[in-house]
Amino acid sequence: MFQVIGGRSVQVTRLLAPRSPVIVEAVRGRKSRTDPVAKSKEGRIKLPPPVDATEMVVLKERYTEYQMITRALRLEFKEEVLRKKYEEETGSLAEERARQEAEEHRALMAFNSQENLRILQVRMLRIQKETEDAERQQLEAVVQRQQQQQEFIKEKEKEVLKLQEDAKNFITLENLDQRIEEALDNPKNYNFAIDKEGRVVKQTTLQ
Amino acid sequence: MFKQEGQGNNWGDLASLGPTPAEDNRANTMVHLSSLLLKKYHGGYVVIRLALAGHKQANRPFYRVVAAYNKRARDGKYLEQLGTYDPLPNIHNEKLVSFNFDRIKYWIGCGAHPTMPVAKLLGLAGFFPLHPMTITEAERRRAQTELIATGTEEGLQERQKEA
Repeated sequence: MFQVIGGRSVQVTRLLAPRSPVIVEAVRGRKSRTDPVAKSKEGRIKLPPPVDATEMVVLKERYTEYQMITRALRLEFKEEVLRKKYEEETGSLAEERARQEAEEHRALMAFNSQENLRILQVRMLRIQKETEDAERQQLEAVVQRQQQQQEFIKEKEKEVLKLQEDAKNFITLENLDQRIEEALDNPKNYNFAIDKEGRVVKQTTLQ
Repeated sequence: MFKQEGQGNNWGDLASLGPTPAEDNRANTMVHLSSLLLKKYHGGYVVIRLALAGHKQANRPFYRVVAAYNKRARDGKYLEQLGTYDPLPNIHNEKLVSFNFDRIKYWIGCGAHPTMPVAKLLGLAGFFPLHPMTITEAERRRAQTELIATGTEEGLQERQKEA
C-alpha cells in the first residue's frame, strides 16, 4: 500500500496525515477493488469540473492559433538548425578551411621529407665515421696483441737466459763434494746488529 | 458537458504541435549525436521542462529550465541547462527568469517539446506566442476581482440604504 521513495521518479499524490520518520508516500489508488466505499463518501457522484461554454469556444480558437504558430516556429527552428549544419559541413567557409588544411598538410609533408633527407645525410656520415673507427680500433687491437706477444716472448727469453746463467752455479752430483768442502772451508757469519740510528755492527761472537 | 482542457490533455496537444516522434527521433539522431554516457531510450524524446535545483533548503524552491530526456527523473541528469526560474518574488516584487534563446532554438529544432509552464514562461517572455491559458486565467482573475468589487459596492450600498 505504502511505498518508500527511492528516487523522485513517480508522480505521487501526497498523504497529509501520517508522520513517520521515513518519508512514506501513497501511490494513487490506495484501496483495492474489494474494499468497501467509505461511509462519508457513500452517495458521492464524481463529476468533472464545470466548463463555461463560451469560454471553451474562445479557448479552442486560441489553442488552434497557438498550436499553428508553435508548429510554424518549430519548423523554422528545424530548418535553421539544418541550415547551420549544412553550412558547417559544405559552406564556403568550410571549403576554405578544408583547402587551407590540405595546403598545411602538404607543406608539412614536404617539410617532413626534407627533414628526413637531412637526417639521412647526417646518419650516413655518422655510420661512416663509426665504421672507420671500428676498423681503426681493430687494427690497433691487432697491433697491440702482436706487441704483447712480442713482449711476452722477450720476457720468457730473459727468464730463460737468467735461468741458464743461474744454472752455472747449481750444485750437481759432480760438484757436490767440491761444494761441500768449499762450504765447510768458508764459514759465513750472517749475524749483525743494528741500532735505531742505523749503525750496523757486523762483529759478533763467532760460533 | 464539455471536458475542460486541463493539464491532462496538453500532452496530446503538444504532441500534435510538431512532427511525429518517429521524425523527431530521426531528427534527433541526425542532428544531435548522443555520447556513450547517454542512456539509450527506446522511443524516448527530449523535453524542455523545469527541474528543481535541489539546494536542499526547505520552503525555498528554485527551478532550472532544462533540456532532458522524457523518462529521466525530474531532477536527474539532463542534457543541457537552458535557463532559470525563481518562483518567489524578490525585494522589488519581481520573479526572475532567464533563458538561453540560442540553445532553446537548437533544441526545439532537434525536436524537443516544452512543457506547459515552460511554454507559458516563454510566451510571457515573447519568444513564443502568449499561451491561451495565461490569457484565460487572467480573464478569470479579472472577472473575479470585478465580482468582488461589485459585491463590495453592492454591500456598501445596501448598508447605506439600511442605515
